[in-house]
Amino acid sequence: MSANTPRVSRKEDDVRQSVVDAVFYPADRIPFVEWSELSGAKPAVVLVGAVTVLSFVTGLSNLSRADPALDGPLTAFIAIPPSAIQFGGVLAAFVLGLVTVGLHRRKRLAWSVGVVVLPSVILLPLTTAQATDIPLLLLTTFTVPLLVRNRSRFDRTIDLSSLQIASLVAIFGVLLYGTVGSYGLRDQFVELDTWTDAVYYVLVTIATVGYGDITPVSAEARWFSLSIIVFGTGAFTVAIGALIGPAIESRMAKAFGVMTASDLTLLEDHIVVLGHGDITEPLLDELGEQAEIVVVTPDQSKISSLQDDDGDLNLLTGDPSDESVLRDAGVEAARGVVVSSNDDARDVLAVIATKNVNPDVRTVAAATEQKYVEKFRSVGVDAVLNPRSIGGRLLSQSILDGSDPETLLRSADGEDDESS
Amino acid sequence: MAATEPADIEAMLARVLLPLCVAAGAIVLSGFFFPTFVGDVVTGPAWLTLALVFFVSGLGYIALLPYDVEKFETDTKQPAAMLRIRQTGLSGTVRTFIKKQELPTFALPLGVLAAYILFQLVWPSSTEAAVSAAADSMLVATRPMFVFVVLLSVAFCLFVLIGPWGDIKLGGPDTEPAYTYPMYFTLIFTAGIAAGVVFWGPAEALFHYAEPPPYFGVEPQSEAALTPALVYSLFHWGISAWSAYAVIGVPIAYYVFTHDAPLRVSTLLAPVLGVDNLDSAWSTLVDTLAVFVIIAGISTSTALVSEQFLTGIDFQWNVASGTFGPALFVVGLTAIVVISAATGMHRGIRRLATLNIGLFALFALVIAAVGPWGFISRQAPAAVTGYAVEFVPMSVHFGGEWVAEWTVWNYSWWFSWAPFAGLFIAALSKGRRIRTVVFTSVFATSAATLVWFLLLGGSALFVQHSGQQDILGTMAGQNGSEAVAGFPVFASLPLGDLLVFVFLALIIVFMATSADTSTLVVATLATKRTYAPSTGHIVFWGVFQGAVAVSVFMLGGAETLQVLAVLTGAPFAVLAVIAMVGVMRTWYRTERGHRSLLWRVRDRLPAIQMHHDIDPPDDKEP
Repeated sequence: MSANTPRVSRKEDDVRQSVVDAVFYPADRIPFVEWSELSGAKPAVVLVGAVTVLSFVTGLSNLSRADPALDGPLTAFIAIPPSAIQFGGVLAAFVLGLVTVGLHRRKRLAWSVGVVVLPSVILLPLTTAQATDIPLLLLTTFTVPLLVRNRSRFDRTIDLSSLQIASLVAIFGVLLYGTVGSYGLRDQFVELDTWTDAVYYVLVTIATVGYGDITPVSAEARWFSLSIIVFGTGAFTVAIGALIGPAIESRMAKAFGVMTASDLTLLEDHIVVLGHGDITEPLLDELGEQAEIVVVTPDQSKISSLQDDDGDLNLLTGDPSDESVLRDAGVEAARGVVVSSNDDARDVLAVIATKNVNPDVRTVAAATEQKYVEKFRSVGVDAVLNPRSIGGRLLSQSILDGSDPETLLRSADGEDDESS
Repeated sequence: MAATEPADIEAMLARVLLPLCVAAGAIVLSGFFFPTFVGDVVTGPAWLTLALVFFVSGLGYIALLPYDVEKFETDTKQPAAMLRIRQTGLSGTVRTFIKKQELPTFALPLGVLAAYILFQLVWPSSTEAAVSAAADSMLVATRPMFVFVVLLSVAFCLFVLIGPWGDIKLGGPDTEPAYTYPMYFTLIFTAGIAAGVVFWGPAEALFHYAEPPPYFGVEPQSEAALTPALVYSLFHWGISAWSAYAVIGVPIAYYVFTHDAPLRVSTLLAPVLGVDNLDSAWSTLVDTLAVFVIIAGISTSTALVSEQFLTGIDFQWNVASGTFGPALFVVGLTAIVVISAATGMHRGIRRLATLNIGLFALFALVIAAVGPWGFISRQAPAAVTGYAVEFVPMSVHFGGEWVAEWTVWNYSWWFSWAPFAGLFIAALSKGRRIRTVVFTSVFATSAATLVWFLLLGGSALFVQHSGQQDILGTMAGQNGSEAVAGFPVFASLPLGDLLVFVFLALIIVFMATSADTSTLVVATLATKRTYAPSTGHIVFWGVFQGAVAVSVFMLGGAETLQVLAVLTGAPFAVLAVIAMVGVMRTWYRTERGHRSLLWRVRDRLPAIQMHHDIDPPDDKEP
């Protein structure tokens, strides 16, 4: 076919084709979003957060109306009380808020609760069928599959201390005891007639609010109420202390430069620096903004000096040769590990511990003495150097051929770093 | 991002647009969620402005993403583009701009449009009278021609779809398509159809119900008029209409990608002039006419759509927009279009098209979910069967004023858009088989519009016929404007508020997705063949389209200019015939050994029945 059509000039044809290509087939494809980044666990958490906000706003919007609309297809099948529709959105938002925090910490329990609560949020738009509820419907239908898809990422159990478990059980027990008991003794109370009244009375009593609208009138009922006050209020106070105390402790610890494990769970693709030595400060300067960094060192004074220099660093007090400390520092998900204290023996131990935790992570080390370089290699370090011998080599080269050590370094960096 | 200056401007724009979008969006959404509180505080015109700002900044930002943040952070002092204009001077910049333009193609449409606006300004009534007299006689005179050409086009498309030459792969057998199939369909569909489909969706069937087409001869507004009304809506927006684009697009695509012809409308003349003589005066004439008809068509559509949009708003919420409201609207729309076209295929155009098809599908889904399903499911099969059975008789039926006013006007309108839509289809089709091009641009797109008209037209007919709302009366109260037809329909359906919201968004996005591609096409046509249009050229043509739209709006005469644009459809219908005959001749002479669809189907059949032990699987793969 091409033989049949003589051409004036091959070159002009090429130009024409390249014009078409330039306008309609641009070479550099610019994706709007990276879909691979949008299907992970982080977007799932963000979407649940968005559902939370939207559910809250939609709930408020429903509350602001005089009476709730019931035009949806579900009303034909289920009789949902109007008040549930009015308050449903806002209440779901509070639960989802907690779920979002839990998901952010990769908790399995939060995932399970979320998978149950999120679909129930869809009931709201299906009942009311208002235009304002449709965004919630759409967003939720996108979020649930994404959450289910990423289920394996939310695998952390909630580690409750024995005190926390005990206080939670105690609260639950007292609630059960109080509700059943006061309902059983309802004849001996003023204005206590239904199960709702019983729950209301117990909660108001335990929380030390005590409105006083429901009051015990017989001696038996008064003894019973006293028992609720003693056990219930006690359990309530202990539970608050046990549940909130650790959070405050973690805050205080962070103020002193010690990260707790939960602060570090979200790190991914970061760089872990084990030990603090002479070359640590220039190393941190060079790494700078290019990656998130976690510094692990047993030396509390070094930690606080680093804390003063650079507030953005993640600092963890602990022994770098301890596997559990390395797990807290997220070595399993790290991009690389730098081992650089002044003590080569400890560094070798740290490398062994690192390889135990994550055999595949790239590990680089600085040896203080030349004779240890081979030992680092034999425990599996990917790259090792002795800063002193390099310095000596550079200086000797400089005095011999008159070159500048800095330019030698620059050329060793390669072409890609010429902008800096 | 080779050039630094556009990147700087983009970064600057994005920095302005994002906060604007967030702020306006927050207010608009709070009004959506809490109409009782916020609704009282903000007035109608303010709502309109806010919503417009939200749309413009949002769509613009989507088109700009991702801009180069780091680049902007490191170099915040002076945008380099401003610097260069200062250094080289304005005249130098203009001179380089003009140098790359094909002079007649660039200057003539500019001059004609300026002259038209001048005439409209000085002798408005006589210009209008002259144009409408010309239109009336033209529509009657060209009636047989259009009926013939459209029938021929449909036959051509069917033949290409089934026949052997559909097998030809554009750009050689090894070329792979650059766009995925869904993207390809989305781009063609959203570019080829403007906001008209949104307005006419509910309105067209109602018009035919009130005044039935003479072909069917049924009682107006009767039970019997329901199906014919739907059948004729499908007929006007179905295969006949879309085939007008394909018969322009397919020959151009073939000559461009297999014979290295330039990507211009004048390539239609290739079978007559030869691929190597496409720089003659005839080609220049065709390209000039194409640029004129594209600009006139798109700007009048923009102006009319703005008018209809605001008429709808005024009707629904009683917000009179005054004289400057529409102008402001057109300016906003132009801003979206310019940003989208200037950021190019991969950013603005592709993203807005995706958004458009998403909203379109969402709207159709909601209508399907809450619409009068019983009525539609009764009427739709009857209408589709009627369309299929009566297609040929309807196509050759050209008696009476009615056909001239509706069918021929409609054909002419689609042909006046064909230079731009056809060229765009051709440009995108590299690496596709011709069969795929025809299937997508005629049959798949028709299927989408058919579903749309069945859903919306069906709902409107149901609401009118069952007496829930008197939409015809409402339209008569607004001077028979089709712009208000949708609102009573949505008001009688559940989720009406949401439908209205999406409906208005669809109008803006549909208009923007057509105008941005047209800007790109015009910029390509008006630039010399050896240059790709620069960002400056694209921006110029986008702004020019907007300027024409604003001026016809302010001076009146949008409808007259539309008539002029539509009349220009006739020459392109003639060109289409030349191209169809010519390309068939070329195929007959040079393209042998392709297999028709029937052969391919027959080839498949025994392969399925064959046993693997008789016929080793290795032999099947060449």
